Amino acid sequence: MKALYAMYPDGHAAQRAVDGLRKAGVTDNDITVISAQPMEEFNFSHIGHKTYMWYIACLGGLVGFAGATGLAYITETSWPINTGGMPIVSWWPNLIIMFELTMLGAILASVITLIVTAGLGRRRPALYDPEVTDGKILVGVENPRDASLPDLKKALQIHPNISLKTI
Amino acid sequence: MKLPNDATITTDLLHPLLNTSWRFYLLVAFLGSIVLMGLSTWIFQMVMGFGMTGINNPIFWAFYITNFVFWIGISHAGTLISAILRLVNAGWRRPVTRCAEVITAFALMIGALFPIIHLGRPWLFFWLVPYPSSRMIWPNFRSPLAWDFFAINTYLTGSLLFLFLPMIPDFAIVRDHSTGLRRKIYGVLALGWRGTTKQWHRLETAMSIMAVGIIPVAVSVHTIVSFDFSMAPVPMWHSTIFGPYFVAGAIFSGIAGLIIAMATLRKFLHLENYLYPLHFQNLGKLLLMMSLLWGYFVFNERLTVWYGNHEADMNVFWVTQTGSFSPLFWTMVTVNFVIPVIILGIKRFRTITGCVIASCGVCVGMWLERFLIVVPSLGHKYLPYSWGTYTPQPVELLITVSTFAAMTLLYTLFAKFVPIISIWELKAGKHPSPALFPEGAREHPLGEVHI
Amino acid sequence: MAHKWGLAVDLDRCDGCGACVTACHAENNIPTVGEMQAARGRAMHWIRVERYWEGEFPNVRLKFRPVMCQQCDSAPCEPVCPTYASHHTADGLNAQIYNRCIGTRYCANACPYNVRFFDFFNPAWDKPLQLQLNPDVSVREVGVMEKCTFCSQRILATTIQAKAEKREVKDGEIKPACAQACPAKAIVFGDLNDPESEVSRLAESPRGSKLLEDLGTRPNVNYLQRLTEA
Repeated sequence: MKALYAMYPDGHAAQRAVDGLRKAGVTDNDITVISAQPMEEFNFSHIGHKTYMWYIACLGGLVGFAGATGLAYITETSWPINTGGMPIVSWWPNLIIMFELTMLGAILASVITLIVTAGLGRRRPALYDPEVTDGKILVGVENPRDASLPDLKKALQIHPNISLKTI
Repeated sequence: MKLPNDATITTDLLHPLLNTSWRFYLLVAFLGSIVLMGLSTWIFQMVMGFGMTGINNPIFWAFYITNFVFWIGISHAGTLISAILRLVNAGWRRPVTRCAEVITAFALMIGALFPIIHLGRPWLFFWLVPYPSSRMIWPNFRSPLAWDFFAINTYLTGSLLFLFLPMIPDFAIVRDHSTGLRRKIYGVLALGWRGTTKQWHRLETAMSIMAVGIIPVAVSVHTIVSFDFSMAPVPMWHSTIFGPYFVAGAIFSGIAGLIIAMATLRKFLHLENYLYPLHFQNLGKLLLMMSLLWGYFVFNERLTVWYGNHEADMNVFWVTQTGSFSPLFWTMVTVNFVIPVIILGIKRFRTITGCVIASCGVCVGMWLERFLIVVPSLGHKYLPYSWGTYTPQPVELLITVSTFAAMTLLYTLFAKFVPIISIWELKAGKHPSPALFPEGAREHPLGEVHI
Repeated sequence: MAHKWGLAVDLDRCDGCGACVTACHAENNIPTVGEMQAARGRAMHWIRVERYWEGEFPNVRLKFRPVMCQQCDSAPCEPVCPTYASHHTADGLNAQIYNRCIGTRYCANACPYNVRFFDFFNPAWDKPLQLQLNPDVSVREVGVMEKCTFCSQRILATTIQAKAEKREVKDGEIKPACAQACPAKAIVFGDLNDPESEVSRLAESPRGSKLLEDLGTRPNVNYLQRLTEA
């Protein structure tokens, strides 16, 4: 079985299911909650929130800064051309290039981090249900161990109306 | 007014994608033909020689540079609405963000074309790209035009990404609501998005970082465009006020462009349940503020020049105020300042129609402002023997008109293929994060704070 | 010591005949743009004679000033060129490299003297006038900027000749076309770094002044004129 999951009508029901799974001993890493919008008012939305993206963005900015400084300095000194008596390496104008490439580096680093850590562009994992786009919330476990299946089913079945699904 | 329920939102906002009427094809054909005419005019200009324009000695920049600055200015709409309002948690931005970001992306693309159109040898524009060429020479980083290249490309990349990232979850919605080829294409565009908590968190973090980053970039872009003028020793160009003046003017014209786009969308896509008069009133208040700010900058510039009484500057000063350019100058002041302040300052007039009228005036006025910065100064430099006049020629007029058609066409096509209001952001606004609300704060479906 | 080429133009000698303009056109393959284009302000006179009227009738005076590229030390046209087409050479000239020019025309806007010109169309000479073209000077195509070079082809030819003969360039040996053609000998060309040259001597003259000097461009053309009534 690739995944065991159920669809819930709203965030409160989904939160109960998540709490049930946690009580059944499932770690946050193994719980998958899928929704059509971010559900920030619920505790389960914090699953998987830890990210280094801000630091990577700063690192990207530094790379851009270094690249721009190198580009300006090396190209200006490799063939020194006098324009208007200005210094060959003029820092005031170079600062503009350095600023722009710093920001570009930060932006590209964030986007690349997003694509990589959110798994975008890769083959989509099996656990998904199009009903999510109609407003339902999916709570499930991927690759569950056979031994724990009864506990998982009990945790997900918070109400007789909820139908469990498998992939 | 309350937002419709989630299912209705999805149906309403996906309606333009899934249903096409003959009016759409007619509009696209009409606009497309004007754009084709513009493209062929440009090819005509390249083949017959740049002399087909009205450019002469000493007015070496005119319509094309005016258009360049105008369109880059319009592109500041998206940054203001998307990035700044996002950072200050203004909930009323939600239906408006994508409309604004789309304007930014397309206005930038059109604006960035003009430095190529105005070149004497446009087929060599790639020499501005810093690449190791066989000529062993690199661009001159001391030149404001090289700064333009970096600034506009950074802003364009950032804006396109800022536009595209929140479109991913909406592409997933379209993917799940369609079949066949459409499903495949949107499936590719959605990059396999599922909507796990981890993905939402990453997306929101990336959007926050980019919102923080894109604001200084936007400020720098129009400042650097202003440097094209302020770095030259031309009367009434060499002024330190140009940086802030241009940025304020850009935001001003950007908001005006956004109001016009939103009003058009509201009418033709029947979005009355999503774009409320309150949105237009809020934007109208921002437009009013920018109009006052614009007036403040113009007053500053002109008082300083007049008081300084520098001979070369005063020639340009009088030719705009009382001389041959004065009809354009006073039209500009009327439609940029007098009319918007009246319409937007009086609550009774600050309706959707009122805001659109004021915005149309502002677009005209801001185009005139750029023209009045470029041409009168170049026509009256330091040696009176070399003063000159400018008359636009058909190629310049046709290309200018076709860029407005191009903008409308691109916008229409975008609204056909992508939901013009961000579905997930709109729905998420109904239940914002509790961190935004201290105990006892009242919630409003449109926004976190009611002014 | 490196050369620093400069001009001295004696406005008291200049009578506005325009021979310098004609000679410049002939030497540097400058096209005549035709009546219609000239009326639109596109005439390309690398050196032009500006004519100013002074005073009220009947005490009217006519003043002439030949204006050419001032080869400024702090040329505002140089930093703004994105492709280094406009830059400063080691011998004090502002060089315009046609092959690098992509025609942004920023340099022309930045030049306070309006001495930079744009090729709006490909030049054409009616037969047999094309036989008169100077083979030492390239013909510029549409879309590039051009301007006075102090006849750099003549400077180069003479300096190469002098080097081959293992001697220094003599003062007065290099004459740009305008200096050569002027019947009043109003235009003097030479090395400002050579204190013995005539142009350096004229630069010291109390009648000397520079055009738009207050702009800080540091031009290398000295205009001599008597400013008080005799």
